[in-house]
Amino acid sequence: MNWINRFVVRIGSVAALAALALPGLLAGPALADAPLTLLYQGEPIRFSHVSSSDGGPAIGVNDPGLTALLRATGALLTWKPGERYVLITTSVPTVVSFAIGDRRYDVGPISLQAGFAPYERGGEVFLPLNELLRALDLALRQDGAVKILQPQLDSLEVRQESDSVTLLAHAGAPLNPRVVVQTPSTVTYAFDGVGTTLSGTRQVDAGGVRSIAIANSGTVRDPTTLVTVALEAGTVAQTPRNGSERDVVLAFAGNPAGPQAVARESPPSLGASANGTPSAPPANAAPENAPTANAAALVTAVSTQPSGAGIAVTISVTGDATYEWHRLRDPDNRFWVDIRNAQLQGPPVDENLTGPLVSMRVRQDDPATVRIALSLDGPKSIAITPSATGLLVEVGSDEVADGPRSGSGSIGSVLSASEQSAPAVTPAPLENAPGDVGVSTGTDWKFGPHGGYVATNPRLIVIDPGHGGSDRGTIHGGVAEADLTLDMAKRLRDILVARGWQVKLTHDTDVDVYAPNDSPHDELQARVDVANQAGARLFISIHANAYINSGPYGTTLYVSKPDDEAFARIVETHLDGDGTKDDGIVKSHMYVTYHTRMPAVLIETAFLSNPGDYALLTSAAWRQKVAQEIADGIAEYAHEYPVPNAPAQ
Amino acid sequence: MFVVLLAFVAAATWYLSSHRMTRGQQTIAVYYTKLDGTSLGDVRISLRPPQPGESAAEHLHNAVLYAAVQAVAGPPNGINAIRFPPGTRVLGVSVQDSIATVDLSKDVERQAGGSFGENGEFKALVYTVTGIEGIDALQVTVEGARVQTLPGGHLELDQPLRRSDW
Repeated sequence: MNWINRFVVRIGSVAALAALALPGLLAGPALADAPLTLLYQGEPIRFSHVSSSDGGPAIGVNDPGLTALLRATGALLTWKPGERYVLITTSVPTVVSFAIGDRRYDVGPISLQAGFAPYERGGEVFLPLNELLRALDLALRQDGAVKILQPQLDSLEVRQESDSVTLLAHAGAPLNPRVVVQTPSTVTYAFDGVGTTLSGTRQVDAGGVRSIAIANSGTVRDPTTLVTVALEAGTVAQTPRNGSERDVVLAFAGNPAGPQAVARESPPSLGASANGTPSAPPANAAPENAPTANAAALVTAVSTQPSGAGIAVTISVTGDATYEWHRLRDPDNRFWVDIRNAQLQGPPVDENLTGPLVSMRVRQDDPATVRIALSLDGPKSIAITPSATGLLVEVGSDEVADGPRSGSGSIGSVLSASEQSAPAVTPAPLENAPGDVGVSTGTDWKFGPHGGYVATNPRLIVIDPGHGGSDRGTIHGGVAEADLTLDMAKRLRDILVARGWQVKLTHDTDVDVYAPNDSPHDELQARVDVANQAGARLFISIHANAYINSGPYGTTLYVSKPDDEAFARIVETHLDGDGTKDDGIVKSHMYVTYHTRMPAVLIETAFLSNPGDYALLTSAAWRQKVAQEIADGIAEYAHEYPVPNAPAQ
Repeated sequence: MFVVLLAFVAAATWYLSSHRMTRGQQTIAVYYTKLDGTSLGDVRISLRPPQPGESAAEHLHNAVLYAAVQAVAGPPNGINAIRFPPGTRVLGVSVQDSIATVDLSKDVERQAGGSFGENGEFKALVYTVTGIEGIDALQVTVEGARVQTLPGGHLELDQPLRRSDW
C-alpha cells in the first residue's frame, strides 16, 4: 500500500503493556516448582516446568504446557540445548528474544527489561513468565479461583493517507469485529474474546476521523473490547477485513486531506510508551541501507526541443550513472537507453509527439534502472552525447541505412576523457569491440556481448518446458503448469523451425527428463545437460508463476549469468505488452540459467494464481502470442549478436 | 618470550580475522522482498551486546541465529512482503569462516510453485544474514541436510548464496 501521508500511532504496544504491572497473581513462593493450570480460550493448559525466582515465576522452554500455548497462539520457539538465545516468533509476526543471564529482552525492535534474567537449570532455560505472556499479547486475569489467560487487543495502528484513515488492530487471538452501533458520526466495533489495557479516548483529527475511544466490556472469561470511532461529516466506514487471523483492518474514506492534516508533522501520540521506551519505527520507512538505493543517481528531467530539422532529447541526471542504449532494425524503429544506478524523480512520462520522434516513454524499469524509450518514424540518425549532467540524444531527420545498434557509456564524474572529448560518437556494437577475450576453439566468432561461450551448434535452440512428468509445477483451478509450459514450448518450437532454426525440447511429451520420479536436482541437471551437451546457442525455460495469494501478476524473466542479460532484455522488449504487467528482469540463482553455458533465460510468463493472468494462460491465442513474441526476441538477438553459420533472420 | 608473543599475536590476528563480527555492531537490517518480486525493504533491529562469558565466535553465532529467525519470520503482517511458507522455522545455525549455515524446517518445501516466492524469500534471507559483519555467504540446509533444490523448485541451494547472486 502506498501511504501518501502516513503516520503510525501505536496505541499501547508491548512496551506499554510491560509498564502496566500485572497483578501479582503468580508472584510469591506458593508457586515455586508447583504445576500451574491456566485457562486459555476455555481450555485448561497445565504448566509443569515452573520455577520461581525473586523476580517472579519462570517457565521452562521444554514445558509441554508452554508448547501447547505457543501452538494455540500460532507462535514458534527456537532454542536448542546449549544455546544462549531463546527466540519466539509470534503470530504478528514479531520475534521475541531472550538470552540467558540478560534481563534485556527484545520484542521486535523494542528492547525491554524483564524482572529477572532467564537462567539455566538442568539443561533447560527458564524464561520470565509474565514477560513471555505479555509478548504473546496475553494478560493473566483471576476469576474466582481460576486463573485465565485473556487475549489482549494490544495495538491499534493509525495510518493516514491524504483522504482516508486505516486502523490496524492486532490481538493475541483471532479477531472478528462486529459493528454494534453506526451513525453518520460514529461507528462502534465490538471485538469479542479480547480484553485490553488500552482503555481511553484519543484525538486523531485527521483523514476524516476525529477520535478513537477504547473500552473494556464483557466479563473476565468472556471479554469484549469496544472501539468507537468518531467521524467527521462525509466520512464513510468501510467493512472490516482481516489482514490475517489476528489482524483486522478498519478503513475510513473521508474528506480530502485538508491543509491541516497534510501539514501535521507531529501526529498525536495515542499511546506513547508509558516507560519511555521508544516506539517502533514505521515498519515501511525508507530502508536506511537498501541495496538498491546506495548512491543512486537521479534522473531529474527528460525534455524535448527542436534541433534543426530533428529533435533533441535532454536527459538530466544528477550523480554518477552508466547508460546502455539499443535500437531496433527498420521497420521496427524503436530506440531505448537505460540509465543504470538511477532513480526516476517524478512521475513516468508517456508522450506522443510529431516529426521524427513519434513517442517518448520514461519509466523506472527496475529498482536501479530508468529507461527512456523513443519510437521513431523511420531509421533516423541518432547521436548520443554524455556529459557530467546527463545525456543528450539527438534524433536527426535524415535516415541511415545501417549503423550501430547498441552502445554504452558513463554519466557524471565517472565520465571518461574520451567521452568528454568525443561527443556524438556512438560506440560500436560490443561483439565487434576490440580487445574481446578470444575463445579457445581458435575460431574468431564471438557469442553474446560478454563473449566466453561458443555454441558448437549455433543453429540450435533448446527450449525447456518447465516441470512435467511427476512434477506438475503449480496447479490452480485444475490447470497444471506443466501442461501449459509444454504447450507454449511446442508453439515456440514450431515458429522457430519455420524460421530455419534447429530446435530441441528438453522433453516433448509429459515425462520426467532424467528418470521417472527423480529428484529435483537430477531433473534440472538433465535439462541443463541437454543444452550443454548439444552446444546450443540459446536456452529458454518456460514457466508459469504462482504465489500463495492472488495478488502478484505479470511476466518476469530470470537470469543468472552476465551473458543472459542482453538476451533477456531483448526478449523482454517483445514480451512487453503481452497483456499482463512487465515485471522486468530479475537476477537470481536459478538452477537452469546458472548452469547452462549459453545465454539463457527462465521466463515466468504469468501467474496462474492471479485471476487475470490465469485467463491469459488458459487462452490458446495468448500462449501462441507469447510464443511468437519470444521467437521475435530470439530473431532480434540473433541480429544483434550474429554468429557465422546461424540461419539468416 | 618474543617468539611466544609473536605466536600469540599471530593467533589473535587469525582469530579476529576469522571472527570478524565487530563487537560494536549494534543493529542489523532485516530485509524483506516486496511484492514486486525484486526490491527490498528493511526493518532495523538492535543486536544484543556480547554477554559475559560469550566468546566472539558465540556472539557471531547468536547474531546469525537472531537475524535468520527474524528474516524467516518476515515483517509484521501489515507490510506486504514475500513470505516463507507458514510454519517455516530456523532449526539451527552454524558459522564456518565467513559462511553461515541456516537449517530450515521442512515447511520451507511447501512453496506456492513459482519462482516468485522462492526468489524473494531467499534473497531476503541472504541479504539479512550477510548484513552481519563477518558473514559473506549463506548455506541453506533443510532438516539438517544439504539440498540441491527444493521439490519442484527453481533456485539452486546446494552451494552458498551471496548477495551477488541477485
